[in-house]
Amino acid sequence: MKRAVCIGGHLLALLVVVGMPVLLDIGPVVLAPSAFVTLGAQAKAAAPTVEVDPLWPKPFPQKKAWILGSVTGVTVDVQDHVWVVHRGVDSLQANEKGPTLEPWASSCCFAAPQILQFDTAGTLLASWDPKTGSGYDWPVNPSGIAVDDKGNVWVGSGLPTPSLAAAGRGRGPAPAAGAAPGAARGAAGAPAAGGRGVTPAAAAPPADAQVLKFDKTGKFLLQIGKAGKTDGSDSPTGFNRPGALAVDSAANELYVADGFGNHRVAVFDATTGAFKRSWGAYGGKPTDTDSGAYDPNAASSKQFHTLSCVKIAKDGMVYVCDRQNDRIQVFQKDGTFVKEAVVSKTTTGDGSVWDVAFSNDPQQRVLFVADGHDKKVWMLDRGSLETLGSFGDGGRYPGRFYGVGSVAVDSKGNVYTGETYEGKRVQKFVNRGR
Amino acid sequence: MKRNLYIGSTLAMLLVALGIGQGILEKKADAQAKSNTIMVPRFEVDPTFPKPLPNHWYQGMSIGVGVDANDHIWIVHRPDSVNANEAAEDAKTGTCCQKAPPILEFDQQGTLLRHWGGSDGEGYQWPASNHGITIDHKGNVWIGGNGGGDGMVLKFTQDGKFLMMVGKKGVPIDSNSQDHFGMVAKISVDKKENEAYISDGYGNKRVVVIDADSGTFKRYWGAYGNKPDDTNLGRYNPDAPVAQQFRTPVHCAEMSVDRLVYVCDRVNDRIQVFTPDGKFVKEAWVSKRTLGDGSTWDIAFSNDPQQKFIFLADGKDEKVWILDRQSLEILTSFGDGGKQPGQFYAVHSIATDSKGNIYTTETYDGRRLQRFLYKGMQSVTKGEDQGTVWPTKATK
Repeated sequence: MKRAVCIGGHLLALLVVVGMPVLLDIGPVVLAPSAFVTLGAQAKAAAPTVEVDPLWPKPFPQKKAWILGSVTGVTVDVQDHVWVVHRGVDSLQANEKGPTLEPWASSCCFAAPQILQFDTAGTLLASWDPKTGSGYDWPVNPSGIAVDDKGNVWVGSGLPTPSLAAAGRGRGPAPAAGAAPGAARGAAGAPAAGGRGVTPAAAAPPADAQVLKFDKTGKFLLQIGKAGKTDGSDSPTGFNRPGALAVDSAANELYVADGFGNHRVAVFDATTGAFKRSWGAYGGKPTDTDSGAYDPNAASSKQFHTLSCVKIAKDGMVYVCDRQNDRIQVFQKDGTFVKEAVVSKTTTGDGSVWDVAFSNDPQQRVLFVADGHDKKVWMLDRGSLETLGSFGDGGRYPGRFYGVGSVAVDSKGNVYTGETYEGKRVQKFVNRGR
Repeated sequence: MKRNLYIGSTLAMLLVALGIGQGILEKKADAQAKSNTIMVPRFEVDPTFPKPLPNHWYQGMSIGVGVDANDHIWIVHRPDSVNANEAAEDAKTGTCCQKAPPILEFDQQGTLLRHWGGSDGEGYQWPASNHGITIDHKGNVWIGGNGGGDGMVLKFTQDGKFLMMVGKKGVPIDSNSQDHFGMVAKISVDKKENEAYISDGYGNKRVVVIDADSGTFKRYWGAYGNKPDDTNLGRYNPDAPVAQQFRTPVHCAEMSVDRLVYVCDRVNDRIQVFTPDGKFVKEAWVSKRTLGDGSTWDIAFSNDPQQKFIFLADGKDEKVWILDRQSLEILTSFGDGGKQPGQFYAVHSIATDSKGNIYTTETYDGRRLQRFLYKGMQSVTKGEDQGTVWPTKATK
C-alpha cells in the first residue's frame, strides 16, 4: 500500500513533467490566464484540473504600501471568505520594510495586518492587527488559522525546528550569493541592521506555547496555554509550538496539532478551553522522546515528527500532517488510529506533508496535500489515500511555489494556498472540473 | 430715479466684474490642471510571462536583463543564490528543484530557448557572482561580475562560445587601473564607435570605455567627470553636500540616440549625464531621501526615435520611474512592493524591446523576470504613482 502510493507519486510526477510543454503551449493569456495547468492521472477517482489565477487577490490599497510576510495559515469559512495569517514585520527583510527603519530608508513597505479576510474575488474585506491588542499573548510566530461555524477565528503559534536543508533559507548560502548584495550593502552604507535574512525565531523570546480565539472582528475571546510556558506532550494546559488547529463546531471541540515541539493531537472544549483528550502517532501515548531525523529507509516512527496540520472531514475522520515523517495519519475523533499514507517518501529536509484540505464534493473524495519541500500540491483519493496527481513546481511565478505550507478549498472547489519563507503569497487555483 | 439707476448700474457693474473675475479664476485653475496633465506611455503587466522553466529549474537572484535584435529576452541570474531548500532536488532532499543555468534566453512567447554558463572555460574564468547582461549590435553577449575579486568582463556568442575576457579575476579594487575592473555591474556597447561602456562597479567608482573588439582601455572617469579615487565616502546622506565621486555601485552606463551617456550612481540616488568622452553634462536625483541600496538601479530608454522617456528601476522603493529624458523630470511611476504580478521586490534591471514593452528582473528574493506590455500613451497627473499596473479589463 505504502509502496503503491510512492510509485504512483513518481509516475505522476513524470507525467506532469512530460506533459508540461504541451499543456503549457497556450501562449500568454492575459485576461483569462490558463497557463500553468496541471492534471491528475486518468486514474479512478479523477483529480480536478486547476488553473492559477495570477491576479488574485487584488493589490492592497496603494497608499497603504502593505506587503505580506511569510504566510503560515490559510482557511476558508462557511461564507466562502478566505482568511490568512502571516508572520508580519518580523518576517520581512530590511529591504522590504524601508519606511519602518530608523532612519527612514525607502517608501516600501509596511507589513499588512496579520489577520486578513478576502472574498473569493480577491477583495480585502477586513483585516486586523492582533499585535496591537491586549489581554492575550500574541505569538512571536502566529501559525495556523481556523474559522469555526460561528465565525470565530482561531490562531496557533510557533515555527518548526529548521531542518538542515532549511538552515540557509531566505538567503543564498553560497559565498557568491552573499558576497554580491553584501558588497552592495557594505559599500552603500545601508543600515547595519539591514541583513536581508529572516530574523532567526530562536532568538526571540518568549517561546510560542499558546492558541488564541477571537471573534470575527478581532475581539479576544480565549487563550489556551501561555507564551513562554512551554509544556510537554502530556500537559492538559500547555503546548510546545502548537502550529495548527481545527474546530469541530458540532461537538464544540478544538483540535490542536501540538505540534512543532510536542508530538500529539490535543482536544479541548472550544468554549472553556478545558482539556479533553490527546494522542500520539498511531493513537499511542505521546512522549517527548526525540525520534531523530527522518530516515526513509527506517521502520516507520512511532512518534510524530513536526505535526503541522489537523483537519476534520465531514465523515468524522481526523487527518493529521506528520510533516517530517512524510505521512498523513487518519484517526477517529477519539484518537483511534484508522490508517496512514506516506507521500513522497524519499523527501527529507522539511518533509512533504505540510497541510491538507478536502475537496468540495459531499463525499470530499479528494485530499489536497501542500508539500512545501517539493513545492507542489498533491491530490490524493481520500478513501484509498492513493496519489491521483499534483500541481505546482518551484519558483516565484504565479502557479509556482516556495514554501507552500497552507491549503484550503472553497465551496466551488477552488484551491487556495499560502507560502511561507520567502514565498510570502496567497494564491488561488480555479477549479476547472475534471 | 437717477439715483436708483446709478445704484442699479453700479450693482450691475459689480456683478459683471465678479463674473469676469470668476471666469478668470476658472481659466487659471483649468490652465493649471492642464499643465499638470501630461502624456506618458502606459503599461500593463503580462502575468503569464514567461512560461515556466523546464526541468524543475529554479531561478535565483536575477541581476540582468537585455533584449537582442530579434526581441529575444536574455537574463542572467545567480544559481548559487538558490538556497538548499529551493534546490532540494540538487540537495537530494526532495523532488524540486534544480538550480537553472545562469544565462537564459526567452522568445516573445516567453519560451526558454538557449541556456548556458556558470563554469570556467578555456581562456576565461566565470565570475564569482555574474552580474549584468547586454547583447551588443553584433549579437554578442556581455556579462560582468560583482563577486569578490571579479575584475573582468566576458564576451560570448549567443551559443555561449567564449570570445573575449577583459581584465582578470582575483584583483584588488583600483579605480585607476588600466588593465582590470573592480566588480562590474553592467556593460553597454556603442555601435557607432564599437566601444563598450563598463559600469565599474561594485568596487571601483568609474565608467570605463574600452574597444569592444580588442578590449583595449580607452578612457575612464568618475562623478562629474572627475578622476576617480577609492576613498571611502561613508554612508549616503541626502542632506550633506553632494558627493564629488560615485558611490559604489556604479550600476549602469547607457548611451542614448543623441550620444549622451546616462550613469546610475545608485546609492547617491542620482543619474549623471556625460558626453562620450566623459564631460559632465547634467544630473538629477530620483527619490533623493532613499537610503541603503539607493534608488537609481538601472535605466532603459523608450523606443521612440527621440527616446523621449527614461524608464528607471528603483529596487529600494519597488517601482519603475518614468522620466523625461531631456529635462530629467519625474513624470510618473508604476509598481509597488509585493510578490504578485506587477509588483516588485528589489527590481534590479530593466530593458525595452522593439515594440516598446518593458522587461524587469528582480534580485534578492524577488527572483523573477516580468514583462510590461506597452499600451499606447495615456494622460496622467504629473508625478502620479500608478501602483500595480494590472490588465485593465481584469481590474474592472
